[in-house]
Amino acid sequence: MTEAPVLDLGDIRGAHAPHVGPKLARLGQLAYAGWRVPDGYAVTVTALDGWLPATARGDLEQLLTGRTADLSQLADRARALIESQPLPSWLEDAVGAAHQRLGDRTGHGAGLRVAVRSSAVSEDGAGASFAGQYETYLGVTGIAEVLGAIRKCWASGYSAHALEYRRRFGGAGPMRAHDLAVGVLELVDVRSAGVVFTLDPVTGDHGTMVVEGNWGYGESVVSGHVSPDHWTVDKASGQVRTRRVGAKRSWSVFSAAAGRVTLEPIPDSLAGEPCLSDEEVRHLCEQAARIEAAEGVPQDVEWAIARDTPFPDSVFILQHRPETTWIPPAGKPTEPAGETAKTFDPVQYALRNVFKVRGA
Amino acid sequence: MAAPTDKPRVVPVDDFVRDELYPGYVQAFGSQPFVAGPVRPFSKADNARYWLRDSLHFSEGMVPASIATLDDAQTWGAQLGAEIVGVPPTLGSVNRLAGTHVYIGTIDVDTDWQIQSRAARFGQYVTPVLRDFDSYWSARAGELQSAYDHFDNLDLTAMDPAQLWTVLKDTYAFHRRAWFIHFEVMYVLTANYLALYALAEEIGLEGSQVSAFLSGQQTFYSKTDEALWKLASRARELEVSGPLTHADPASMRGQIETLPHGRTWLSEFDAFLATYGQRTEETCRIDTPSWIEDPSAPLYAIGTFLSKPAGFDFHAARQQAIAERDEQIEAARRAINGSDLARFNEALASNQAANFAWWNEEHNYLIDRRAAIPVRRATLELGARLAADGRIERPEDMFFLFKPELYGLMEAGATPGGAKWPELTAMIPDRRAYFEDWRPRGPQLPTMLGTVPDTVPDPIMIEVFGLSGHFLQTLKAGAEGATELRGFPAAKGVADGTARVITTVADIHLVQPGDILVCGGTTTEWTPVFGIIKACVCDTGGSLTHAAIVSREYGIPCVVGTAAATQIIKTGDRIRVDGRAGTVQVFPSGQV
Repeated sequence: MTEAPVLDLGDIRGAHAPHVGPKLARLGQLAYAGWRVPDGYAVTVTALDGWLPATARGDLEQLLTGRTADLSQLADRARALIESQPLPSWLEDAVGAAHQRLGDRTGHGAGLRVAVRSSAVSEDGAGASFAGQYETYLGVTGIAEVLGAIRKCWASGYSAHALEYRRRFGGAGPMRAHDLAVGVLELVDVRSAGVVFTLDPVTGDHGTMVVEGNWGYGESVVSGHVSPDHWTVDKASGQVRTRRVGAKRSWSVFSAAAGRVTLEPIPDSLAGEPCLSDEEVRHLCEQAARIEAAEGVPQDVEWAIARDTPFPDSVFILQHRPETTWIPPAGKPTEPAGETAKTFDPVQYALRNVFKVRGA
Repeated sequence: MAAPTDKPRVVPVDDFVRDELYPGYVQAFGSQPFVAGPVRPFSKADNARYWLRDSLHFSEGMVPASIATLDDAQTWGAQLGAEIVGVPPTLGSVNRLAGTHVYIGTIDVDTDWQIQSRAARFGQYVTPVLRDFDSYWSARAGELQSAYDHFDNLDLTAMDPAQLWTVLKDTYAFHRRAWFIHFEVMYVLTANYLALYALAEEIGLEGSQVSAFLSGQQTFYSKTDEALWKLASRARELEVSGPLTHADPASMRGQIETLPHGRTWLSEFDAFLATYGQRTEETCRIDTPSWIEDPSAPLYAIGTFLSKPAGFDFHAARQQAIAERDEQIEAARRAINGSDLARFNEALASNQAANFAWWNEEHNYLIDRRAAIPVRRATLELGARLAADGRIERPEDMFFLFKPELYGLMEAGATPGGAKWPELTAMIPDRRAYFEDWRPRGPQLPTMLGTVPDTVPDPIMIEVFGLSGHFLQTLKAGAEGATELRGFPAAKGVADGTARVITTVADIHLVQPGDILVCGGTTTEWTPVFGIIKACVCDTGGSLTHAAIVSREYGIPCVVGTAAATQIIKTGDRIRVDGRAGTVQVFPSGQV
């Protein structure tokens, strides 16, 4: 398959999932549909294929067939070996060009700060078992650092795959991290972040939307480390029905020193303040309702609000997924509660428009 | 209390026996087990309505024993299914025979009250089924499978004739049940599919795109094809290709056996048959063997595949088909907005969960190509005993007895008309000659008999057979001398090439790599040929017809529902098939 090694986010669609991983594919699809998402580019699985030179592969196989029992020690050595390999120059050039385009598009130029994320392509159990070993690097600046981070992401894929293979089958496995792409996304300077549910996740009520959020990055909300601020919104009218300020003791902030987002105690001045205005809450719900309409099933939508950016350009959609709590398990009939939200009944439609039954 | 006795007690009805219910009343059948009558020959009254030649399902003639299975399938099964599901515009179908060849007609519901009351029933029946189609279908598939397990495991050779007769009656009962299931499920799924189709057209999409949205699922038949390709590549590895490409199917086995790795390959082939061989070449036909009995068809398919230099990468083709499908769905979604999008998504989700495109292929394995096999086995085994007793000459003579005749003979020693074995067996040679006389005439029969209508009120008939307004118009006007045919755009792409007109599956060995296949319609038995042809054109069929689905799978252009392709196009003509426009241009041979 002749697939470009690097794809700008604007060129990525849902169908690219086999090349860039489902998360990046969904993000590209969102961008294409006109949502404001962090801009970026993807280094595809194809670019990664065959990257590791034969000599390094030989060294790696030797290392893995050796008698070292300590897997973490082995992982470190494998990773160091892989990270020491240079990227091919055609790839460095392609990444350099894409990075420059991203700098131009975002208006940050060379000062652009990005997140470099591993993006697992397979959604099966194999991907999941590597999940913890795939890397993410935040606040990366400059093309040299970006290339280094890409190499580290890939190395993490190689070593994880290799070690998993060794754990399951013994000896050395095929040295291809064939299920890993890398995404480079602009790092949004986040003021507040959280999740919108297009139905009440507790009651399953389709007439109510729920917004949860906290100051700082969304990790504190998603990981369940804080009691977030909580709004309920009437879906039909868009009016905010209830507001509850959460007992927020900590928040997720970007630590330049650690090079990642860390959980810190929240300043007193913010702890008692709601992290969103009503206007922002209503806007988020409108956006989420449109995503739900496009997907056809209730969604939970991760959002972030950028600091120092005028509303509504400040509102970013990070990702969305079907809200599974209230989807009936496969093979079980839908509860009547789930049906009230349906807008299409195939039976009535067939009677009216296919069989042309008068008055149906 | 009286002592128990072995003697059955009979309270005689003799006093009440009469010829008439009331004086002067000649009894007629007020209510037969059919809504509108069993399979019959044509009568003059049939000129008032339309009759479509069903070469899609029955490309060859029916022997007397197959009339009962046809009765239970397309007549009884369709009528009971339509009745129970409550399909508003139709009471199902009826069949007529021209000689030994099958025509199908529909029974329209023509009063408003009946349509309304059926519509109400239809809603009640179909709604819960669509809500949980998985459970609904797996219960029925399980029922069919356990019946096959029962019949396949009976040791018929150890049974006496009375036991065999009991088994034969059981197989008839099962066959009838299988066909009721067939139509019950078919009506439900077609309605779901046609709702999506109609919605797509309402909101500005092309209806012809819809079936592609539902493609990409693996069916038992696509697995069969994949297994056949695998056997072809094994034949290359094991160096047994020679006999497979050159020998007559009847002597292939013997020739392969003599080769160094012949036995290895044959054991793999037999393992294939054990899984995939419970199928016949046609529907309802008691006289056609299963693949296990006569493996010529799969051997031919493997030989065909070997004539292509490379194999066929099913995995890659499926991945590509899925990627294309998803891309098309995404493109459709981008073209729709607001509430239309929500309706589209729900209609699509309903069809993904209860997918007619998938079931249409999948059910053939459990019903169309298999349900008659237990009847065939019991019939032939009983025939062997009757032949041993001197009642008939050979087991196959059973094919030329009608089921009511056999019932009468087995249960009462005489047919309903009073004939006994010698009189009946005396008729077999004539019946056999009649069948043989009609056999070659099928392809020349008119596509439609009776009155060609302007429109067909049953949307399911339109979908299954492709009876569009254009189709009917072509039949009305006649297409003699036409240089362009129009039909349903079934699979995209444009191909130029030489036409090969094939009117029966028995002739598919005549198809050469690179030909454009022109035929009445295809069934699963035609599938192997799609691996070598350039494009496909059919007289009948709609968006979900077999040829449409398989053409998309193999990535070749296809136009169906042209009404007259096999009459206009001659083998050797150069033709151009445009699968997106739904047109076929004909350049008669010698003309460029």
